[in-house]
Amino acid sequence: MHDSSKLSSPQAILRAVARVLENNSIAALATLVEAESNVGAKLLVDERDERTGSLSDSVLDDAVATFTKTFLQSRAGARTFKLEEIIGQQERALGSLETDARILFERIEPEPRLIICGAGHVGASLARLARFIGYRTTLIDDRADFVARERFPDEEIELIAASNWADALREKIGAGRGVSVAVVTRGHNEDEECMRAVMAARPDYVGLIGSKRRTNIVLERLHDAGFDEERLREVRAPVGLDIGAVSPQEVALSILAEIVAERRGGSGRPLSDWRRT
Amino acid sequence: MGTIAQAELYRLIAQAQERGERVAVATVAHTRGSTPQRRGAKMLFFENGEVAGTVGGGCIEAEVWAEARAALRNGTSALHHFQLTADEASEEGMVCGGTMEIFIDVWKSREEG
Repeated sequence: MHDSSKLSSPQAILRAVARVLENNSIAALATLVEAESNVGAKLLVDERDERTGSLSDSVLDDAVATFTKTFLQSRAGARTFKLEEIIGQQERALGSLETDARILFERIEPEPRLIICGAGHVGASLARLARFIGYRTTLIDDRADFVARERFPDEEIELIAASNWADALREKIGAGRGVSVAVVTRGHNEDEECMRAVMAARPDYVGLIGSKRRTNIVLERLHDAGFDEERLREVRAPVGLDIGAVSPQEVALSILAEIVAERRGGSGRPLSDWRRT
Repeated sequence: MGTIAQAELYRLIAQAQERGERVAVATVAHTRGSTPQRRGAKMLFFENGEVAGTVGGGCIEAEVWAEARAALRNGTSALHHFQLTADEASEEGMVCGGTMEIFIDVWKSREEG
């Protein structure tokens, strides 16, 4: 049962984790944290069900690999499960496993990214706030002086002076996994140009700033250009949660609150609502 | 010494491995009640005494440090239970008071296999 050659070499696990992060993929790292033996054994299962390492028991590895899908579908970053929560009835009947063992599941995924089109007052505030919250942030504008480094001393904010919005966006969005895009340019021609490139890619979140009327004009043009209606409906337009934002900084907070709520599965409602209903 | 990104964290572990050193990785595995860090938060302890990341403030950090140092010496990974009683928490002026389970995992050096 205990084939030590199959136990996870730390180097193999580290290489696999690095690969997941570099490829913008997602995986679960399962670690045996409470058991009679092999505490610390690890199994990494990626979203294509490729495995690295072992928890030292092939039945357990199979059960963990199956359970990984459930774990990744939940939005949990890390959670500890008892073995009996992971294994199905059939496996339990096999009986060789200690059912009081516990396994820590951790989500391995790249930092969330935010791409901001437009470095005006809102875009600039949003870039600074997003960095603070922990987003890898890219700020794009076609006016080089608006994305000059002097305006953004934080080197972690990536600045792009784009001669062509669409090319810059295509390159930056890539496969779109874990990517949010906020379109906050200075005018609706630029908004539309950005939105065409954004809709052709597949980011997780798309927000477009403007009044209902102004954003509707852009979305209708995209519809007329043949973009998928259902995906257009998912566009957050006007972007942001209703917090009564007035200043650019407040608007940035409203936008980022919506992005976080989308990623974490929040409702955007006050937590105190229950007192009043 | 705030939280650190996953890519950075695993890079630091890999670098220690390349130097032929052990690393103790403390991870918040489970929490109940009011605790200062989320599940999954990590803190790294290196052989040269340096640390990175955090598992949450003053409430339990001293105890975690002691356990992590011991783990680095004896090479044993284990789950540790920490109580954050309301009394202790208020004495330290902390806003926590719950239980935390922290897994302290020793990543052995390459030579140790």
